[in-house]
Amino acid sequence: MNRFRHQLFSGLGASVVAGAGALWLNGKFNALPDYAFLTGWALLAGMFVLTIYNVRKKLPFLPLGKSETWLQIHIYLGFFTTLLFLIHLNFRLPHGWFEIALAWLFVLVSGSGMAGLLFSRVLPRRLATRGGEVIFEKIPALRHALKTQAEDLALGMDAKSPVIADFYARRLAAFFSGPKNLWLHLAESRRPVNALLAQLEDLRRFSNDAERDQIGKLSALVRQKDGLDYHRALQLTLKLWLFVHIPLTYSLLIFTAAHLVFVFGFSGGAR
Amino acid sequence: MPDTPTILERPQRWDAAFDPDMTETVVDRLLATAPFSRMNAEKFPQRTPLREILRNDSRVLRFRKGEIIVRQGDYGTSAFLILSGATRVVLKPDLAPSLLGRQAPGKKGILRTLAQIWNGSRPAEFFSRKQPGQSTGLGARQDADEVRVFLQDVPRVLDQHRTEQMTSGDFFGEIAALSRMPRTSTIFADSDDAELLEIRWQGLRDLMKYDEGLRSHISRIYRERALASYLRATPIFQHLDKAQLDRVAEAVEFSTFGDYDWSGEYKRLAQAGSVRPEKEPVIAGEGDYPNGIVLVRAGFARVSQKFGGGERTLNYLGAGQIFGLNEIAHNWRSKDAVVNFQFSLRAIGYTHLLIVPTRLMEEIVLPSLPKSELPPLVETAKGENDSTPPEAAVREKVGAEVLEFLTENRFFNGTATMVIDLDRCTRCDDCVRACASTHDNNPRFLRHGPSAGRLMIANACMHCADPVCMIGCPTGAIHRESFAGQVVINPATCIGCKSCFNHCPYDAIRMVEVRDERGELLVDQEMKPIAKATKCDLCVENYGGPACERACPHGALARMSLNNLDPLVKWLKL
Repeated sequence: MNRFRHQLFSGLGASVVAGAGALWLNGKFNALPDYAFLTGWALLAGMFVLTIYNVRKKLPFLPLGKSETWLQIHIYLGFFTTLLFLIHLNFRLPHGWFEIALAWLFVLVSGSGMAGLLFSRVLPRRLATRGGEVIFEKIPALRHALKTQAEDLALGMDAKSPVIADFYARRLAAFFSGPKNLWLHLAESRRPVNALLAQLEDLRRFSNDAERDQIGKLSALVRQKDGLDYHRALQLTLKLWLFVHIPLTYSLLIFTAAHLVFVFGFSGGAR
Repeated sequence: MPDTPTILERPQRWDAAFDPDMTETVVDRLLATAPFSRMNAEKFPQRTPLREILRNDSRVLRFRKGEIIVRQGDYGTSAFLILSGATRVVLKPDLAPSLLGRQAPGKKGILRTLAQIWNGSRPAEFFSRKQPGQSTGLGARQDADEVRVFLQDVPRVLDQHRTEQMTSGDFFGEIAALSRMPRTSTIFADSDDAELLEIRWQGLRDLMKYDEGLRSHISRIYRERALASYLRATPIFQHLDKAQLDRVAEAVEFSTFGDYDWSGEYKRLAQAGSVRPEKEPVIAGEGDYPNGIVLVRAGFARVSQKFGGGERTLNYLGAGQIFGLNEIAHNWRSKDAVVNFQFSLRAIGYTHLLIVPTRLMEEIVLPSLPKSELPPLVETAKGENDSTPPEAAVREKVGAEVLEFLTENRFFNGTATMVIDLDRCTRCDDCVRACASTHDNNPRFLRHGPSAGRLMIANACMHCADPVCMIGCPTGAIHRESFAGQVVINPATCIGCKSCFNHCPYDAIRMVEVRDERGELLVDQEMKPIAKATKCDLCVENYGGPACERACPHGALARMSLNNLDPLVKWLKL
């Protein structure tokens, strides 16, 4: 068994055991008078451990263990904390605007985390299969270089074909001008690039030798640009989900702190 | 108009003499000096006469008292003959790292470790003139084009260390030069007029080849100092008693294939896209009679098999690995079904080998091995058995594309190569950020590099088994860390000469212009920026190992030795 499968099975196994244990304890003790406090503190402890992973990431020079191990704990504790959250809610829907907002924040943080996990497991393999590895920050410069090459081919001093120049202005200028087809790349659709290549092929049928050579080079540039867009779309997704997950986590922490204050401020009468 | 080819004179061995200023008078003087005066010039072939070897492959150097000639642990490609004056070799204890221009080994203390939390705000490439571990007791002076490093307090060194004087006629450095092993001792000039002849390895190799006296002298030293302990540590000889081991040591032949300066040649070939196994020197040919086992002592060799019109790589062998044992053990056990070498062995770059003759293997070594340690019989008859031979099994495990990729790019040289599994890497750059945080805001690698399939070799120092970057450092700033052997640079003694930068075949060393605490460039008296060589140091001063590897959340990055493929196979296992 490879190490990733080993991680998966041991993580899932631990989660199932912990989850079953938590449900059993919930069934046994949920009638206790301060039970909500108990599950609340357990939930807070879980959230604390989940949050300090970010601190670990910011202190890579300290011997705090491998980030890989931390992430495994983060993932499976995240699942377990979701169950704790449901137990804390006593499996009912929240009420009151504050409680609803807090619950929504929790759902969004958990959901964005799960989406991130899915992206992290699926998208790298797709990038590797597509090939043409490129550093994200260099994509704009590479795109500009492709655009310049395409413009030189279609509109430059040596370009002598009004048909190609016209096609470039109508169809390719917009394609080369910026990133395109983000959603379609994420959906693994090649429809737009195939359509462009088909149009170039149509143009080729009615061209002379010099023009055919130009069209061949333009087709190659179109493929390269499409590959660049593909890398941008997937790499951007791999980066952006964290920009959702982390700010939401901070919001959740602020709401949780307020929730603590409210609970302890107003729980005297409830006892 | 057709392009006309540029016609050049075909490059010759001595196009670049070791010392372009070497004169006939000096060569005459050398020829009159022992041991050259005792050599029979007629035994040298016409294309490599003794006189030309001395003229082109040697140079005369003069040292002042205290100047370091060779440092313990450095890699060098030349040997030295003392012409006049004296030198001194440090025996015990070894000189302190600071006296050799090196960083004191050790980890950062708790305070320095914690200080990294706020050091990230320092300017990029900040260089403090008070570097921790900065050398003490060491000076440097410029001599013509070279920087000479000298011990400032020779009497104290003599007081605190056992040393031995060497005088005119003594040779040193020949084993390190021929076997590409680190220098075993530090030697410094012991008189103000020490005159030494430095002979580069190519010249030394030819002198040995055509002069029986020098050959037997070096062979004796090699057998006495290096061979016995090496053989003792080699598993197949572990069952031999001392007398048997001495017999083996006496009969072992040693040989060097390929080119010491392989890094420059490799860079040129790689740029031309013509790195091909067929062009590599053959050590043992497929189908040849196995007249001895081949032990790789240093460097690397490619195991290949004829395939179509070319050669396909099955595996590569590094230091300590053996070729030909299967065939010889087979022939010893099945005398009626003698087999020849099943594969070819070719030197990649540079390879230093030991050859144990078949006769001795059959008489002494194979009978000493327990049955469980004998290799299986060779399955030759095609179709008789379809099982994969061990050499080809590696190819199946890592895949043909990856194996050819690692071999052609010479990545097997790395002992801590940064390998990235692209199927797992989310391109989050946590590794780069971790590296920067650990090195005062300066990342020491690039998360990009050549790739094959799902494997990428990032542009980071690989801490090579054959660290060509260490050859020629004038101050000893680039060195192997004494404990784990990482190749590190001491910024305090780096003079920015670019020697390591130019030698590294993997472009893993960068020259940076250093800055002060305000972010201003540090400049010399001529207002030129001061440059230092930088590279990955494998977080040698930090606890917990390389920050890049520890920072990868998805286990997609590993620092591993590619000297053999087992760790990679295990890591990539699906």
